[in-house]
Amino acid sequence: MNVEEQIREIVARITHVDKSTITRDSTFKEIKADSLDIVQALVAVEETFGIEIPDEDAQKFRNFGDFVSYVENRVAQKETV
Amino acid sequence: MSLEGKLALVTGGGRGIGRAIALKLASQGADIIINFFRRREAAEQTAREIEALGVKTDVIRANVGDATKIDEMFDAIASKYGRLDILINNAASGVGRSVMDIDTKAWEWTMDINVRAALLCAQRAAKLMEGRGGKIVSLSSLGSFLVWPTYAVVGVSKAALEALTRYLAIELAPKGICVNAVAASFVETEALKFYFDEAFKKHGIPATPAGRMVTPQDVANVVAFLCSEEAFMIRGQTIIIDGGLSLYSPLFAKEKG
Repeated sequence: MNVEEQIREIVARITHVDKSTITRDSTFKEIKADSLDIVQALVAVEETFGIEIPDEDAQKFRNFGDFVSYVENRVAQKETV
Repeated sequence: MSLEGKLALVTGGGRGIGRAIALKLASQGADIIINFFRRREAAEQTAREIEALGVKTDVIRANVGDATKIDEMFDAIASKYGRLDILINNAASGVGRSVMDIDTKAWEWTMDINVRAALLCAQRAAKLMEGRGGKIVSLSSLGSFLVWPTYAVVGVSKAALEALTRYLAIELAPKGICVNAVAASFVETEALKFYFDEAFKKHGIPATPAGRMVTPQDVANVVAFLCSEEAFMIRGQTIIIDGGLSLYSPLFAKEKG
Protein backbone atom coordinates (compact mmCIF):
# COMPACT_ATOMS: atom_id res chain seq x y z
CA MET A 1 0.00 0.00 0.00
CA ASN A 2 1.46 3.39 -0.97
CA VAL A 3 1.67 6.45 1.29
CA GLU A 4 -1.54 7.98 -0.09
CA GLU A 5 -3.57 4.82 0.47
CA GLN A 6 -2.23 4.39 4.02
CA ILE A 7 -3.14 7.98 4.92
CA ARG A 8 -6.58 7.58 3.30
CA GLU A 9 -7.23 4.51 5.47
CA ILE A 10 -6.15 6.35 8.64
CA VAL A 11 -8.31 9.39 7.89
CA ALA A 12 -11.33 7.23 6.97
CA ARG A 13 -10.97 5.18 10.16
CA ILE A 14 -10.82 8.28 12.37
CA THR A 15 -13.60 10.25 10.69
CA HIS A 16 -15.84 7.24 9.94
CA VAL A 17 -16.06 8.34 6.31
CA ASP A 18 -16.10 5.91 3.35
CA LYS A 19 -12.52 6.03 2.09
CA SER A 20 -13.60 5.93 -1.56
CA THR A 21 -15.09 9.43 -1.07
CA ILE A 22 -11.75 10.94 0.01
CA THR A 23 -9.92 12.45 -2.98
CA ARG A 24 -6.82 14.61 -3.10
CA ASP A 25 -9.09 17.64 -3.52
CA SER A 26 -11.23 16.86 -0.46
CA THR A 27 -11.01 19.50 2.23
CA PHE A 28 -11.07 18.46 5.90
CA LYS A 29 -14.47 20.11 6.12
CA GLU A 30 -15.76 17.93 3.28
CA ILE A 31 -14.37 14.85 5.05
CA LYS A 32 -16.27 16.12 8.13
CA ALA A 33 -13.08 16.08 10.18
CA ASP A 34 -13.26 18.27 13.29
CA SER A 35 -10.16 19.61 15.07
CA LEU A 36 -9.88 16.48 17.24
CA ASP A 37 -10.14 14.19 14.18
CA ILE A 38 -7.39 16.18 12.47
CA VAL A 39 -4.97 16.02 15.39
CA GLN A 40 -5.66 12.30 15.86
CA ALA A 41 -5.03 11.69 12.15
CA LEU A 42 -1.77 13.65 12.37
CA VAL A 43 -0.64 11.59 15.37
CA ALA A 44 -1.56 8.30 13.66
CA VAL A 45 0.27 9.29 10.47
CA GLU A 46 3.32 10.41 12.46
CA GLU A 47 3.50 7.04 14.16
CA THR A 48 2.89 5.06 10.99
CA PHE A 49 5.68 6.79 9.07
CA GLY A 50 8.01 7.69 11.95
CA ILE A 51 7.95 11.41 11.14
CA GLU A 52 7.00 14.59 12.98
CA ILE A 53 4.36 16.94 11.57
CA PRO A 54 4.38 20.17 13.63
CA ASP A 55 1.17 22.21 13.70
CA GLU A 56 3.11 25.03 12.06
CA ASP A 57 3.25 22.81 8.93
CA ALA A 58 -0.14 21.09 9.32
CA GLN A 59 -1.94 24.44 9.36
CA LYS A 60 -0.89 24.98 5.74
CA PHE A 61 -2.71 21.89 4.43
CA ARG A 62 -5.65 23.07 2.31
CA ASN A 63 -6.89 19.59 1.48
CA PHE A 64 -6.14 15.87 1.72
CA GLY A 65 -3.75 16.13 -1.24
CA ASP A 66 -1.58 18.69 0.57
CA PHE A 67 -1.42 16.36 3.57
CA VAL A 68 -0.39 13.41 1.36
CA SER A 69 2.24 15.42 -0.58
CA TYR A 70 3.78 16.68 2.67
CA VAL A 71 4.06 13.16 4.08
CA GLU A 72 5.42 11.78 0.78
CA ASN A 73 8.15 14.44 0.82
CA ARG A 74 9.02 13.82 4.46
CA VAL A 75 9.18 10.06 3.95
CA ALA A 76 11.39 10.52 0.86
CA GLN A 77 13.71 12.87 2.83
CA LYS A 78 13.91 10.32 5.62
CA GLU A 79 14.88 7.57 3.19
CA THR A 80 17.68 9.63 1.64
CA VAL A 81 19.18 10.54 5.06
CA MET B 1 13.07 33.05 46.06
CA SER B 2 15.96 31.33 44.33
CA LEU B 3 15.55 28.15 42.39
CA GLU B 4 19.20 27.98 41.47
CA GLY B 5 20.37 24.44 40.77
CA LYS B 6 16.82 23.10 40.54
CA LEU B 7 15.64 21.15 37.50
CA ALA B 8 12.05 21.74 36.36
CA LEU B 9 9.93 19.96 33.77
CA VAL B 10 7.09 22.06 32.33
CA THR B 11 4.66 20.03 30.23
CA GLY B 12 3.26 22.08 27.37
CA GLY B 13 5.95 24.64 28.20
CA GLY B 14 6.45 26.01 24.70
CA ARG B 15 3.64 28.54 24.60
CA GLY B 16 0.89 30.29 26.52
CA ILE B 17 0.80 29.88 30.29
CA GLY B 18 3.38 27.06 30.21
CA ARG B 19 5.83 29.34 28.45
CA ALA B 20 5.31 32.10 31.04
CA ILE B 21 5.91 29.56 33.84
CA ALA B 22 9.04 28.18 32.16
CA LEU B 23 10.46 31.70 31.77
CA LYS B 24 9.55 32.67 35.35
CA LEU B 25 11.20 29.58 36.88
CA ALA B 26 14.23 30.13 34.64
CA SER B 27 14.44 33.77 35.78
CA GLN B 28 14.78 32.42 39.33
CA GLY B 29 17.66 30.21 38.30
CA ALA B 30 16.03 26.84 37.55
CA ASP B 31 17.15 24.75 34.60
CA ILE B 32 14.13 23.98 32.44
CA ILE B 33 13.01 20.99 30.42
CA ILE B 34 10.27 22.07 28.03
CA ASN B 35 7.89 19.35 26.94
CA PHE B 36 5.87 20.06 23.82
CA PHE B 37 3.73 18.06 21.45
CA ARG B 38 2.40 19.94 18.44
CA ARG B 39 4.40 23.18 18.19
CA ARG B 40 8.13 22.58 17.83
CA GLU B 41 8.97 26.09 16.62
CA ALA B 42 7.27 27.68 19.63
CA ALA B 43 9.05 25.32 22.04
CA GLU B 44 12.44 25.98 20.47
CA GLN B 45 11.84 29.73 20.54
CA THR B 46 10.97 29.56 24.26
CA ALA B 47 14.09 27.45 24.86
CA ARG B 48 16.24 30.14 23.21
CA GLU B 49 14.68 32.79 25.46
CA ILE B 50 15.35 30.62 28.52
CA GLU B 51 18.98 30.08 27.52
CA ALA B 52 19.39 33.83 27.25
CA LEU B 53 18.55 33.99 30.98
CA GLY B 54 21.72 32.00 31.68
CA VAL B 55 20.25 28.64 32.66
CA LYS B 56 20.28 25.29 30.89
CA THR B 57 17.33 24.12 28.87
CA ASP B 58 16.19 21.03 27.05
CA VAL B 59 13.27 20.36 24.72
CA ILE B 60 11.46 17.01 24.70
CA ARG B 61 8.63 16.12 22.36
CA ALA B 62 5.96 13.86 23.85
CA ASN B 63 2.21 13.49 23.62
CA VAL B 64 1.33 13.30 27.31
CA GLY B 65 -2.03 11.80 26.34
CA ASP B 66 -0.10 8.63 25.48
CA ALA B 67 1.17 6.71 28.53
CA THR B 68 4.00 5.12 26.54
CA LYS B 69 5.27 8.55 25.47
CA ILE B 70 5.24 9.76 29.09
CA ASP B 71 7.38 6.76 30.02
CA GLU B 72 9.79 7.49 27.17
CA MET B 73 10.05 11.14 28.24
CA PHE B 74 10.83 10.24 31.86
CA ASP B 75 13.24 7.48 30.79
CA ALA B 76 15.14 10.15 28.84
CA ILE B 77 15.12 12.54 31.82
CA ALA B 78 16.21 9.78 34.20
CA SER B 79 19.12 8.69 32.04
CA LYS B 80 20.29 12.22 31.21
CA TYR B 81 19.79 13.95 34.59
CA GLY B 82 18.91 11.22 37.10
CA ARG B 83 16.79 13.70 39.09
CA LEU B 84 13.95 16.21 38.96
CA ASP B 85 13.03 18.94 41.45
CA ILE B 86 9.92 20.54 39.97
CA LEU B 87 7.10 19.17 37.82
CA ILE B 88 4.57 21.54 36.31
CA ASN B 89 1.56 19.69 34.89
CA ASN B 90 0.52 22.36 32.43
CA ALA B 91 -0.18 20.56 29.14
CA ALA B 92 -3.89 20.51 28.42
CA SER B 93 -6.29 19.94 25.62
CA GLY B 94 -10.02 19.76 25.20
CA VAL B 95 -12.94 19.64 22.89
CA GLY B 96 -15.38 22.53 23.00
CA ARG B 97 -18.80 20.90 23.14
CA SER B 98 -22.00 21.05 25.13
CA VAL B 99 -22.57 18.22 27.61
CA MET B 100 -25.05 16.48 25.30
CA ASP B 101 -22.51 16.39 22.46
CA ILE B 102 -19.59 14.85 24.36
CA ASP B 103 -18.74 11.43 22.90
CA THR B 104 -16.29 8.85 24.24
CA LYS B 105 -13.56 10.04 21.87
CA ALA B 106 -13.73 13.65 23.11
CA TRP B 107 -14.02 12.47 26.73
CA GLU B 108 -11.02 10.13 26.57
CA TRP B 109 -8.84 12.57 24.65
CA THR B 110 -9.44 15.32 27.22
CA MET B 111 -9.20 13.11 30.31
CA ASP B 112 -6.04 11.37 29.10
CA ILE B 113 -4.21 14.66 28.56
CA ASN B 114 -5.62 16.74 31.41
CA VAL B 115 -5.85 14.18 34.23
CA ARG B 116 -4.23 10.83 33.46
CA ALA B 117 -1.05 12.55 32.27
CA ALA B 118 -0.84 14.49 35.55
CA LEU B 119 -1.09 11.22 37.48
CA LEU B 120 1.48 9.37 35.37
CA CYS B 121 3.91 12.32 35.31
CA ALA B 122 3.58 12.74 39.10
CA GLN B 123 4.26 9.03 39.64
CA ARG B 124 7.40 9.12 37.53
CA ALA B 125 8.51 12.52 38.86
CA ALA B 126 8.10 11.42 42.49
CA LYS B 127 10.64 8.65 41.89
CA LEU B 128 13.14 11.18 40.52
CA MET B 129 12.48 13.41 43.57
CA GLU B 130 13.08 10.52 45.99
CA GLY B 131 15.40 11.52 48.81
CA ARG B 132 15.65 15.15 47.67
CA GLY B 133 12.05 16.40 47.91
CA GLY B 134 10.31 18.34 45.21
CA LYS B 135 7.38 20.45 44.04
CA ILE B 136 4.51 19.49 41.79
CA VAL B 137 2.08 22.14 40.56
CA SER B 138 -0.84 21.38 38.25
CA LEU B 139 -2.80 23.87 36.18
CA SER B 140 -6.51 23.74 36.84
CA SER B 141 -9.18 26.23 35.85
CA LEU B 142 -12.12 28.07 37.39
CA GLY B 143 -14.16 25.99 34.95
CA SER B 144 -13.75 23.11 37.44
CA PHE B 145 -16.57 24.61 39.49
CA LEU B 146 -18.07 27.36 37.35
CA VAL B 147 -20.09 26.43 34.28
CA TRP B 148 -18.91 27.93 31.01
CA PRO B 149 -20.41 27.33 27.56
CA THR B 150 -18.89 24.30 25.76
CA TYR B 151 -16.30 23.87 28.54
CA ALA B 152 -17.98 20.80 30.06
CA VAL B 153 -15.45 18.06 29.38
CA VAL B 154 -12.50 20.32 30.22
CA GLY B 155 -14.22 21.57 33.39
CA VAL B 156 -14.86 18.00 34.54
CA SER B 157 -11.24 17.04 33.81
CA LYS B 158 -10.02 20.01 35.86
CA ALA B 159 -12.27 19.05 38.81
CA ALA B 160 -10.67 15.58 38.70
CA LEU B 161 -7.22 17.17 38.50
CA GLU B 162 -7.91 19.15 41.69
CA ALA B 163 -9.02 15.98 43.50
CA LEU B 164 -5.90 14.20 42.24
CA THR B 165 -3.82 17.10 43.60
CA ARG B 166 -5.23 16.54 47.09
CA TYR B 167 -4.55 12.81 47.05
CA LEU B 168 -1.03 13.26 45.69
CA ALA B 169 -0.31 15.98 48.26
CA ILE B 170 -1.07 13.70 51.19
CA GLU B 171 0.57 10.58 49.81
CA LEU B 172 3.75 12.37 48.73
CA ALA B 173 4.07 14.64 51.80
CA PRO B 174 6.25 12.15 53.74
CA LYS B 175 8.67 12.18 50.79
CA GLY B 176 9.10 15.96 51.10
CA ILE B 177 7.14 16.61 47.92
CA CYS B 178 4.72 19.56 47.95
CA VAL B 179 1.78 19.14 45.57
CA ASN B 180 -0.61 21.98 44.74
CA ALA B 181 -2.64 23.42 41.89
CA VAL B 182 -3.61 26.82 40.57
CA ALA B 183 -6.92 27.70 38.94
CA ALA B 184 -7.12 30.80 36.82
CA SER B 185 -10.11 32.44 35.20
CA PHE B 186 -9.89 33.31 31.53
CA VAL B 187 -6.30 33.95 30.53
CA GLU B 188 -5.77 35.43 27.11
CA THR B 189 -3.70 32.84 25.24
CA GLU B 190 -3.98 31.21 21.86
CA ALA B 191 -5.75 28.24 23.45
CA LEU B 192 -8.71 30.42 24.46
CA LYS B 193 -8.71 32.83 21.53
CA PHE B 194 -12.13 31.45 20.63
CA TYR B 195 -13.60 33.26 23.65
CA PHE B 196 -11.62 36.48 23.46
CA ASP B 197 -13.50 38.84 21.21
CA GLU B 198 -14.03 42.50 22.07
CA ALA B 199 -17.47 41.80 23.57
CA PHE B 200 -15.95 39.24 25.92
CA LYS B 201 -13.37 41.69 27.19
CA LYS B 202 -16.00 44.41 27.48
CA HIS B 203 -17.98 42.25 29.91
CA GLY B 204 -15.02 40.39 31.44
CA ILE B 205 -13.17 43.42 32.77
CA PRO B 206 -16.10 44.96 34.72
CA ALA B 207 -16.85 41.46 36.11
CA THR B 208 -13.33 41.33 37.52
CA PRO B 209 -12.95 43.51 40.65
CA ALA B 210 -9.17 43.70 40.12
CA GLY B 211 -9.93 45.69 36.97
CA ARG B 212 -8.23 43.65 34.26
CA MET B 213 -8.05 40.16 32.80
CA VAL B 214 -5.60 37.57 34.21
CA THR B 215 -2.31 37.32 32.30
CA PRO B 216 0.00 34.30 31.88
CA GLN B 217 2.51 36.19 34.09
CA ASP B 218 -0.06 36.40 36.92
CA VAL B 219 -0.34 32.61 36.83
CA ALA B 220 3.43 32.10 36.54
CA ASN B 221 4.03 34.27 39.62
CA VAL B 222 1.81 32.08 41.79
CA VAL B 223 3.26 28.86 40.37
CA ALA B 224 6.78 30.12 41.15
CA PHE B 225 5.71 30.91 44.72
CA LEU B 226 4.31 27.38 45.12
CA CYS B 227 7.68 26.07 43.90
CA SER B 228 9.52 28.05 46.60
CA GLU B 229 10.35 26.98 50.15
CA GLU B 230 8.14 29.81 51.44
CA ALA B 231 5.13 27.75 50.31
CA PHE B 232 6.29 24.60 52.14
CA MET B 233 3.22 24.35 54.37
CA ILE B 234 0.68 24.70 51.54
CA ARG B 235 -0.41 21.19 50.55
CA GLY B 236 -3.06 19.92 48.19
CA GLN B 237 -4.59 23.33 47.63
CA THR B 238 -5.92 24.91 44.48
CA ILE B 239 -5.05 28.61 44.53
CA ILE B 240 -7.52 30.73 42.61
CA ILE B 241 -6.12 33.48 40.39
CA ASP B 242 -9.07 35.43 39.05
CA GLY B 243 -8.91 39.04 40.28
CA GLY B 244 -12.00 38.31 42.37
CA LEU B 245 -14.19 37.26 39.44
CA SER B 246 -15.56 34.11 41.07
CA LEU B 247 -16.57 35.93 44.29
CA TYR B 248 -18.24 38.91 42.71
CA SER B 249 -21.63 39.36 41.15
CA PRO B 250 -21.79 42.18 38.60
CA LEU B 251 -25.52 42.33 39.44
CA PHE B 252 -24.52 44.72 42.23
CA ALA B 253 -22.28 46.90 40.08
CA LYS B 254 -23.31 50.52 40.14
CA GLU B 255 -23.21 52.49 36.92
CA LYS B 256 -20.24 54.84 36.92
CA GLY B 257 -20.63 58.60 36.52
